[in-house]
Amino acid sequence: MSGAQALIEALKREKVEYIFGMPGGANLPFYDALWDSNIKHILTRHEQIAAHMADAYGRVSRRAGVCSATSGPGATNLVTGIATAFADSSPVVAITGQVPRGMTGRNAFQETDVVGVLTPVTKYTLQPLSAADVPSAIRKAFHIATTGRPGPVLVDVPKDVQQETAEVTFPESVEIRGYRSKAPLDPQDVERAADLLVRAKRPLLFGGGGIRISDASQPFRAIAELLMTPVVTTLQGKGTFPEDHPLSLGPIGMHGRAEANKLVSECDALLAVGVRFSDRSTGTFSEFCKDAMIIHIDADPTEFNKNKAVNLHILGDANEVLVSLYSAITRRISKKGEDNPWLKRVNEVREEMKSIPAYRDSYADLSGPRIVKKMREILPPDAILTTGVGRHQMWCEIHYQVLRPRTWITSTGLGTMGFGLPAAVGAKLARPDVPVVDLDGDGSFVMTEQALATAVEQNIPLISVVLNDRSLGMVEQWQRLMYNRHYIGVKFNGSPNFVKLAESYGAEGRTVGSLDEFARVLKDGLSSQTQMVIEVPVSPEEDVFPFMPPGKGIKDTVYGPPKESAIF
Amino acid sequence: MRASKILSVLVDNKPGTLFRVTHLVRLMRLNIEGLTLGVTNGGDTCRMTFTLNGDDRTVEHVARQLMKVIDVIEAHTYGPQEVTARELALVSLKKFDPIQFGEEERQRLNVIDRSTAGVVVQIVGTAGEIDEFVRRAGESNVIDIARTGVAALPKEKQNA
Ligand SMILES: Cc1ncc(C[n+]2csc(CCOP(=O)(O)OP(=O)(O)O)c2C)c(N)n1
Repeated sequence: MSGAQALIEALKREKVEYIFGMPGGANLPFYDALWDSNIKHILTRHEQIAAHMADAYGRVSRRAGVCSATSGPGATNLVTGIATAFADSSPVVAITGQVPRGMTGRNAFQETDVVGVLTPVTKYTLQPLSAADVPSAIRKAFHIATTGRPGPVLVDVPKDVQQETAEVTFPESVEIRGYRSKAPLDPQDVERAADLLVRAKRPLLFGGGGIRISDASQPFRAIAELLMTPVVTTLQGKGTFPEDHPLSLGPIGMHGRAEANKLVSECDALLAVGVRFSDRSTGTFSEFCKDAMIIHIDADPTEFNKNKAVNLHILGDANEVLVSLYSAITRRISKKGEDNPWLKRVNEVREEMKSIPAYRDSYADLSGPRIVKKMREILPPDAILTTGVGRHQMWCEIHYQVLRPRTWITSTGLGTMGFGLPAAVGAKLARPDVPVVDLDGDGSFVMTEQALATAVEQNIPLISVVLNDRSLGMVEQWQRLMYNRHYIGVKFNGSPNFVKLAESYGAEGRTVGSLDEFARVLKDGLSSQTQMVIEVPVSPEEDVFPFMPPGKGIKDTVYGPPKESAIF
Repeated sequence: MRASKILSVLVDNKPGTLFRVTHLVRLMRLNIEGLTLGVTNGGDTCRMTFTLNGDDRTVEHVARQLMKVIDVIEAHTYGPQEVTARELALVSLKKFDPIQFGEEERQRLNVIDRSTAGVVVQIVGTAGEIDEFVRRAGESNVIDIARTGVAALPKEKQNA
């Protein structure tokens, strides 16, 4: 069979349902081989969008999302999407066409060294140089993308490799020396962790994206309830512990929840699971949890002591480690009671924070915080929310309670504007049974709005709520608070009419004038099973608080709007 | 003396691995002062020995993060005292007078080419010994130098 047919056959064996992408000269043989396969091609209008769709599909489905592009500009258009998936450890397999082998290095038409370009932002790159090598390259790509700490893998296939025919065999498994997807768990480490946690007076659990990846929410919650430990998360880990749970404090970070940011500095033992101590979560590394014993559980050994020195690290899959940690703890104690000074302190801080303006309901009727709270009231617990990047995303971080894992899909590591709408498409294909809503900023939305064309064409129901402040709101906030209100390059004077824009793609477009109207329209959208864009006009002046100023520690969090204009 | 660290990396012997490794070295803005590379283990693997100028923490960060690179099998850093290290240099001199050098140093030297233009001397030794040879031979006497970079293996741990 041809290399292209081998490629498709190998993808079928990986049980691939969808390929998100765009064709071009160098991957036409591959596209031709799709002709009589049952893999569905989802045509995007930009390759970045294809990569985001594959990424979100991967985050929701636990399987690798697949995207494809031609050589040269097609491949380079993937870069932002692949880098986004890499930063958030999402399983993606990207398949690119490449110029024929004989043309390599001759600056051939649409020749870009995509292996060179993508190496720094992928978990691995492969380039099969004969048709016979194609099946093992695909097997390796899926194995690497989905095991251990997941990530994107590139398979770059020269056009003549797609065209040549060869005897091919399809390996069930592949050996990759130097790649250890799993490490044996050291039971002594688990015992030590149990001792530390049981002895702690003010323990705190800190959950990250690793909990979602390894589906470890259940043992994570069991440990929290056993020890009666409050729980904070990263922004990526948001929802891995139900945020309506009495022990949930919400995310910590630059725009974390006030009680979470406040209390994280007061714990004496921190159990950090599947986190990477990112600066956006912790602030100044050395100041973070300075006086606490830190236990770090992760599947990626290169994360230990990278940003934050810890007292004990445990290498392993979060689920496996937490299950044994749970039983190690039960061998020491039975369930702790609610009546302890630490939980009293937690409640005290919660009360204290209620008096802070960010939490008082002083917002305008149509404002980010009210919209996201309303969305939570209306959406069922298993609805998936995707976001763009900016203030709207941070309002979700603070005010939108995520109740189930894998229902909060957002770009945190790279903070990629334009992620939200394509991610909604990918998420909906992974979970057609639940409603999918994108909450976006106007700036983020217009970066990838043409994903609407794909949603309409493929009849994929979704709702995009666009908070329209005619501004790059988050950046405007920084300019307001840190740069003397010098608004440079943030105001939009040429925004589209979002209703007409949606309609021109064949979607429904609405704009709303009140919170009640928003609620009605959102409910309409949910029952109509169409593609709907809901524009919500909001003020650009509404800032997000709490705010941990960049370069500062989490103790320096500013909890509410300052009186003077420039404060930092 | 140079403030250099040795980074020793064992990789799969296949195209592209040096690129993956040097990417991280470059990311951390380290200067590569020496690099030797050779196939080991019957052709299966390849050992890269970098001499890097940088602070210990940065070099160690690179070594640790290299373990994420799938083709990397091992990565270790060593201080100059922790390894047995040798380098080979070919030094082309206008004039070469062995008498200038002591008995011990002469043993490290080998004249490998003579022409009307000058003499090519091969020297094997530590990086410091090669520096010293060049100094003694006289800067103005040196036409050209090619150094291989240091090959290094960790010293055997002393049994207690
Ligand atoms: C691709 C990309 N470019 C630039 C930025 C920097 N940036 C971060 S937030 C932001 C503004 C986002 O504006 P919008 O999407 O309208 O959201 P808002 O903050 O108004 O809610 C910008 C420009 C980014 N994160 N991503």
